[in-house]
Amino acid sequence: MTALHPTPPRSIVGLLAGGLLDLFSSVRFGISMLAILFVYMAVGSAGVLYPIHPNLFHPDAWVHAQLRQWRPFEMTEFEWFHWWPFDLLMILICANIAVTTVRRIPFRPVNYGVWMIHSGILILVVGSFIYFSTKVEGDAPVIRRQVVARWTGEGATGGAVSVAAVPGNRVELPTPDGAWALEVVDVDPNWEILSGDAKGERGYSVSVMVDRPDGTRFIRQAIAGHPDLTEDLLFTSDTTQPVKRAVKETGTPLVEDALSLDLAYRSQDWFYLRNEIEKSWAIYLRPVGASAWIERPIEDLPLYNDYLADRSWVFPIEGQPPLPIDPIDLPVPAVAEDDPLRGTDLRVTGYLRYAVERTRLVAGGPGDPLNPIAFMTISSERGEESKYELEALDPVKRRDDGGLLVFRSISSEEELAPFLEPPVLRFSIPSQEFVAEIPVRSVLLAQEEQGFADLGDTGYAYRVVAVQDEIPLSSGVASIAIIEIRTPDARILRRWVFDDARLTRDVAPDGSGPIHSAPTLLDDAIIATYRPGTGLALIKLVAGPEPNRLRLLNTIGSERPEVLEIAPGRAVEVPGGLTVLVTQYLPKAKVERKPWIVPPSQRDRDAGNHFAMIRVEAPGMEPRWLRFHQYAFEGPQDQLRRFRFEPQRIALSDGREVELLFSRQRLPLPAEIALEEFVLTAHVGGFTGESGTIRNWTSLIRFRDQQGWTDPMPVSVNDPVEHGGLSFFQAQWDPPDPARAEGERASRGLNYTVLGVGNRHGIVTQLAGCTISVMGMLYAFYLKPVIRRRQLEQAAKVATSSPRREHAMTGATT
Amino acid sequence: MQAMLERWTGCLLIASAMLATTGVADDATRSPDSPPSSFAEQVDLEPLGTSAVLIEGRLKSLGSHAASTMHLITGPRGIAGQSALFTYLDMIIRPEEYAKSDVIYVKNKEVRRRIADVAVAADASLAERLEVSRRTGLFSPEVLGRPEVESVLQVLEADLVRTARPVGEIRGALFLSNPRILLERLRLLPDALPDAPWIGLDEVVLPEVKEVSGAVTGDGDGRVPAESASEIRAAWMQLLDGWQSGDVAATNAAVASLASAVRTVRPEAHPAESRLRWEHWYFEWDNLTSIWLVYLASVIVLMVAVVYRWPWAMRIGLGVFVVALALQTFAVGLRWYVAARWPNSNMFEAVTTASWFGAVAAILFEAWVRRTALRGFFALGAAVACMVALMSAHFLPVYLNPNISNMMPVLHDVWLYIHTNVIIFSYCLIFMAAVTSAIYLGHRLLGGVPAYARAGGTGMLLATTGAVGGGGGIAAGRTGPSFGEVLDGVTMVLMELSFVMLWAGLVMGAIWADHSWGRPWGWDPKEVFALETFIVFLILVHVRWRVRDKGFWTAILAIAGAAVMLFNWIVVNFVITGLHSYA
Repeated sequence: MTALHPTPPRSIVGLLAGGLLDLFSSVRFGISMLAILFVYMAVGSAGVLYPIHPNLFHPDAWVHAQLRQWRPFEMTEFEWFHWWPFDLLMILICANIAVTTVRRIPFRPVNYGVWMIHSGILILVVGSFIYFSTKVEGDAPVIRRQVVARWTGEGATGGAVSVAAVPGNRVELPTPDGAWALEVVDVDPNWEILSGDAKGERGYSVSVMVDRPDGTRFIRQAIAGHPDLTEDLLFTSDTTQPVKRAVKETGTPLVEDALSLDLAYRSQDWFYLRNEIEKSWAIYLRPVGASAWIERPIEDLPLYNDYLADRSWVFPIEGQPPLPIDPIDLPVPAVAEDDPLRGTDLRVTGYLRYAVERTRLVAGGPGDPLNPIAFMTISSERGEESKYELEALDPVKRRDDGGLLVFRSISSEEELAPFLEPPVLRFSIPSQEFVAEIPVRSVLLAQEEQGFADLGDTGYAYRVVAVQDEIPLSSGVASIAIIEIRTPDARILRRWVFDDARLTRDVAPDGSGPIHSAPTLLDDAIIATYRPGTGLALIKLVAGPEPNRLRLLNTIGSERPEVLEIAPGRAVEVPGGLTVLVTQYLPKAKVERKPWIVPPSQRDRDAGNHFAMIRVEAPGMEPRWLRFHQYAFEGPQDQLRRFRFEPQRIALSDGREVELLFSRQRLPLPAEIALEEFVLTAHVGGFTGESGTIRNWTSLIRFRDQQGWTDPMPVSVNDPVEHGGLSFFQAQWDPPDPARAEGERASRGLNYTVLGVGNRHGIVTQLAGCTISVMGMLYAFYLKPVIRRRQLEQAAKVATSSPRREHAMTGATT
Repeated sequence: MQAMLERWTGCLLIASAMLATTGVADDATRSPDSPPSSFAEQVDLEPLGTSAVLIEGRLKSLGSHAASTMHLITGPRGIAGQSALFTYLDMIIRPEEYAKSDVIYVKNKEVRRRIADVAVAADASLAERLEVSRRTGLFSPEVLGRPEVESVLQVLEADLVRTARPVGEIRGALFLSNPRILLERLRLLPDALPDAPWIGLDEVVLPEVKEVSGAVTGDGDGRVPAESASEIRAAWMQLLDGWQSGDVAATNAAVASLASAVRTVRPEAHPAESRLRWEHWYFEWDNLTSIWLVYLASVIVLMVAVVYRWPWAMRIGLGVFVVALALQTFAVGLRWYVAARWPNSNMFEAVTTASWFGAVAAILFEAWVRRTALRGFFALGAAVACMVALMSAHFLPVYLNPNISNMMPVLHDVWLYIHTNVIIFSYCLIFMAAVTSAIYLGHRLLGGVPAYARAGGTGMLLATTGAVGGGGGIAAGRTGPSFGEVLDGVTMVLMELSFVMLWAGLVMGAIWADHSWGRPWGWDPKEVFALETFIVFLILVHVRWRVRDKGFWTAILAIAGAAVMLFNWIVVNFVITGLHSYA
């Protein structure tokens, strides 16, 4: 037949099309694509393992790395799986499935299963294309309440200030008398109401410390939904009950009626895109004094590696190889009309994945001012060693070990003389022409439990209670000897004798008295002065007057200091078996603040982008490093615990001042969200702080639509809410948080929720594809064999009656 | 060829017997470095062991609480052959006995080495003792408290990637081993308020240290009635006296009194005693993981049965398998009962329950193919899977922690029971298919012909069982399938079922993730490697269609699929962190 009817020659396009059709009809091609897909996915998810040592059996011979995080890629998992090679693979696989199915699998009952599987997968891919190409996902923190404060008294302007109801947050309320400082000191989401109609119920209570300009203070407590129960708490001198309800003290619940303090929703308008899904960096700007941030998205900023043009931008990491020089220069153009730096070429010129800002003292140049800094060690014969860093010009940092070690600087040799004198107390009683100078050190050493020492025959006696040298005061530095004087009439006076006689005063023997008021002497017949000399320091390091000259004044074992010339790196032995070594001396030290890249071994795996930094530059502006912020809060009064708020204020050469903040891109929510309540459900025994006791978290949220706030809708784990085309699910919560530093407020938690926010386009298509493919698998594996078997049995029956048909049937099915 | 196969089977059987011996021998090494004292053997702590304690939101038996606490302190090894509860109480009553004993478990070998090196450098006399510690991982609090060891721990603690966690575990163990903490964690006394945490025994028996309003005085605001508090204190003092003097009778009496006294505090708050008793028993019996030995026996006999085709061996093998399954069913059921939830929420439960699913499926298959050449193969595959799973649980408790705790909030969803069970069932089927594939490859290696099941898995089942259309099926007229054909058929039956279940399980997981995390698919490593496993089987299906030696390539790819599945279960779970890290 072929010889009789030769196939007409085909065009190149025809040949190409035919070849492509054949290729896409090939099962081998499909298998190859699947194998490549397997490798691509494995590499993207698990990473790669490669040898770095010729001995492959060496314990450290193999290194595991995430290929997608390497510099040429810088991709999240999501980005790796939506990169063009992956998309191309999926297109090829889909084309292969479609062409093969149509060309090679006849649409017959035995093949319905395969058709369903293949069409189901194609539908799934279409659904996934819709889903992933339109995917938006982020998170939105929603604070439960804010405190709104107004001054309603005389001179009221009607203006209000607000502060998020989070312990430690502060705001100032302007009043005609000056600014009142308001600080949220406690938020109790489970406060037991003790009075009124709601007695016995649990309420959400917020306590605010109110500091008035006159120095008085009180606490105002407000309970959500019960404005009638708002009351003030007063501080008392009663140590058994230092805080009392105002109503008990004054008869009225409020001590300051002019202060209006209400609890209101703190709605959220934005959600921040998740960086770990797709890089979504942004810089936020605003003019100094403004509250609203203007966003500038940063395109192509990396995520996993450090990018620097100059190693001097950061402090070197000890024990690590030098950082690679890999500069970036990314323009961050304005996109908003009201951008405060519109027209200014803002650029990102550096990125650090995990760094902290550190301050170090480094040697200054000849033109830098004098700032002597000494690094020294003191070691004992037993091998114990203490390290010190002393700053001569800083009244606090020039001393260590309780004042036994001191570092001073002198500008002339004359200034050394006082340091060579021992500390002395001088008493004079002019009426009796009595004068005595008594070395303090020997008095103190012999002081243990001793009584008063007579001052000659004057009838006065004294004893030294304590001596403190070089105490930093608001007015400068002072040295003080605290003594007790017994007068001839047997009174006991406690006198604080300063080196500056104008400050010397008497106080009550228990230490109380008018310390901050004008000095008062209860017996001015006796005059005492304190001359600290070298003070109580056992070792005093003196710099100067020549720039590099250092002397050690040792008073260990002697009344008068022994002067030793020393130099950095040269150890000096002093009595007591001690060795003093100045390891480094910087006469003109200066402070340098730079990022320090945290070594990989010291990085917290769960820190995410928390320690990322970028370097920004613009014409007329000093380059700055900006730390990453999870959220762009409007101000410190809105800050949430565990999240930083450190915008950088910059001044441009043209006089403009703006604030900058590095964070994530954000999108507006379809409707404002408010948090009505946050409920923590616990297992038996209640929440004890252990994660195992938590059963569930539920945020009761409201959306503001055209009719106002909706009814509260519960969002809990595994139970999201849909609104405005987005789904809202429970993502994070606010656990109890103890105070970590003096002055910090502890938090009982539950002050806010973090909602996950995302769209779900294409989900139904994906589900349909999956369902069809599962049904196809069941058909192909379990129904098809039955159909085929019945066909064979049918054929066998027919074959029994007709041998020729049996032959034909067997041939057709094998 | 058959003779060669039989010879190799004989070798395999000998190896299996050695494995059983090793298992028992290794079990023996978990016993005490020194034999238990007669006091430890004779004292009866069951009354206390079956008392309720409220820890981390779960009411559990004191026996299981002691087991989980000791797991954190001493690791998987018992101390001196004592029960966990005995050691727990002994650490409270005679802390001086443990200060210098090797009781703190250090899991990380690098950390062990660094501790031992620095301690030996400072004190050479410790060399011999610390050589043992390097091997066992057990160090004494005294050694861990040495200044030079503390210095090295601080250095290791700074390495957040590699050694900070193990050092944190050491510090946690040292903290927990403090007798005061152990006593405080004996939270045996329900609070007067129903939703409040239970009260630790320390608040009652150490009133001079921690005064609790009412606990001692029994006043109106008291959390423990005065009368009960007094009884508890008296029983505790009696226990201290008896224990310290080694008086077994007095100790047993005190234990009974103490157990009785704690139950008088809000009796309605205590859970059913039967549940506590079973829980205590379950942990006493090592979570019944020793059932692996019964599975091993069934593997040996079934191996003989399928290779030598001895009918009596088949009957015995299946009988032993049924016994093993019955025991495992009891173990799974008992855990379900004491945990008050289906056991599939942690690695221990996922591994043991998955294998149970496989065994149940095997029994159903065996019932279907009981008169065919396929008989015994499903049971053999399942027996190997169950044996490996239970051995892992038995010998690797550090990784497969058997403790029962509350589930994370995200796991409280109906999809946990649907998605997780379907996925772990498919994993077990994949493993079973790998077992039959491995036998097939062994068969081929020993000269077997390249046979395969022409009609596929289900097709072969239908053909051999005549499940459709009656009669003896299309095989009726043949002499019967060859050994290779049978193995390939069994592999395909398992592969086809696992293929559908894995895909359905992935889809179900996506549905759950959609409403839990807000997205059906997040390219999480666990998700990716489950899909990778499916892709291997996709390749298998299509390769089988194209290649000539279908049986061989099916076996190779089935084993590759199982390897990817195991990678997902082991490496992804323990090395690569992700959203599924708890599973």
